[in-house]
Amino acid sequence: MTAQDYVPFRDRAAVAGIGRTAFSRDSGRSALALATEAARAAISDAGLRPDQIDGLVRCDMDQTTGAAMAGALALPDVQFSADVGVGGGAPCAMIGVAAAAVLSGQARHVLVWRALNGRSEGRLGAAIAPRVVAGGQASYDDFFTPYGLLTAPQSFALLAQRHRTLYGTTDEQFGAVAILCRDNANRTPHAQMNGKPLDMAGYLASRMISTPLRLFDCCLETDGAAAVVVTTTDRARDLAQTPALIRATAQAPAVGSGGGMMFPSITWTDPLALAAGPVAHRLWSRAGLGPQDIDVAQVYDCFTITILLQLEAYGLCAPGESGPFVQSGAVSADGRVPINTDGGNMSGGYIHGLNHLVEAVRQMRGTADVQKSGAETCLVTSGPVGMSSALVLRRDA
Amino acid sequence: MTDRLYPAAWDRDTGPFFTAAREGRLVFCACNACDRGLHVPTPSCRFCGSIDTSWRDARGTGTLYSWTTVTQQAHPAWPVPYTVVIVALDEAPEVRLTGCIPGAPALSAGQPMQVWFEDIGQGRTLPNWRPLQNGDLA
Repeated sequence: MTAQDYVPFRDRAAVAGIGRTAFSRDSGRSALALATEAARAAISDAGLRPDQIDGLVRCDMDQTTGAAMAGALALPDVQFSADVGVGGGAPCAMIGVAAAAVLSGQARHVLVWRALNGRSEGRLGAAIAPRVVAGGQASYDDFFTPYGLLTAPQSFALLAQRHRTLYGTTDEQFGAVAILCRDNANRTPHAQMNGKPLDMAGYLASRMISTPLRLFDCCLETDGAAAVVVTTTDRARDLAQTPALIRATAQAPAVGSGGGMMFPSITWTDPLALAAGPVAHRLWSRAGLGPQDIDVAQVYDCFTITILLQLEAYGLCAPGESGPFVQSGAVSADGRVPINTDGGNMSGGYIHGLNHLVEAVRQMRGTADVQKSGAETCLVTSGPVGMSSALVLRRDA
Repeated sequence: MTDRLYPAAWDRDTGPFFTAAREGRLVFCACNACDRGLHVPTPSCRFCGSIDTSWRDARGTGTLYSWTTVTQQAHPAWPVPYTVVIVALDEAPEVRLTGCIPGAPALSAGQPMQVWFEDIGQGRTLPNWRPLQNGDLA
């Protein structure tokens, strides 16, 4: 399959509705209750009734199953349901699957959601699979956890150290990433870190987690949910909101990826390209656009290093230059391509990357708190390990 | 001492790495068709698709590819600080293996590293890595 095969599908599906819950450290409710609230908000935002939702797309790591969501919303007519993974790599692919469903006649209005009690019910930053026997059955943990490589920050720290080795990336460059996300959060009322300013001294004083990554290089752990409704562009134009057109979506694994989750990333052919390199190549050719055409971007940000690596992989800057690029202000709120305008996963809330979709749609509607003036295109990326994904949204003309 | 984590030596794709370590040998999985090392090990080659893969003996030397000194404890069996190292094998640098050094040693990228075999109990041995020292047979 070539990018040419995708051309007839550009801009044919759209995001018609967005919703979310409050983002907190303890929601006091189940993930199912959060999912239901965000779903209702997205459906209502689109100008639809729940009974008009006939398709469901779930993240493979979500507690809420398709059947549970059908029950939670009392949906009478679900005809399409898909689980998409993996985890944080999924959100843009979930939109792609929803678009495929509405463009192939399998559903009219597809609900896409992600809900988690990521702080109160089990901390995502804690040790993965703390089993006494590690690995087996294609997890490949046996090559990592018996050596004390146990958590996501430790795994991404290996990539950060490699970037320092090759390009001399400095503490202050990592700090510039954290601070720009925090600055945006401080202008976004619903962001979890709103009202908690961060400067370079504060960044540098934050405790080291796993060198070279500090506390403020790490994303938040959040209780909350986000949801969107996808339909055809033709239908979306008759609904309540200005549609955010899905210009193109793309998925790909990393080159040389044998499997497993994040730990093997340091073994890939080019660890610093992550899976973002192959995704970017495919996305730009499918979209018929390039990084120079992008007005604003929501970049999956489990860690500061993840932003730096993706700025390079998606061609927003040259390989190795992401540190100085961020320091130049190019991706700050008043820069050429503002990123993570609601604070992202770093300072807005960690809804595993589906929150980036909600913010991207706000940018295309012109309703974001940190709005890029006249923005017509938005890049969204999902977690760059495992099978990753990304998309471009376009403002309806 | 809290139980540490033991590799699942029974896995068909990855177990031979730990079985060989028990015998004091370092091995890596490689594709016999395109001659590339395959780590993590898989039963077919992700570069050329060949199912002709096998385990090869490694000399046990490499260079330091990356590392991180862990300073926030995540598991009771892993008191901080300790340093996870990633080592590229000399004969197949695309194979990058994990090791662990206590404390926060001064390290630099590309420095020579030497395998050693750590008996961790429960019938398991880990190939582990430390900086090459004077007196090591390089």
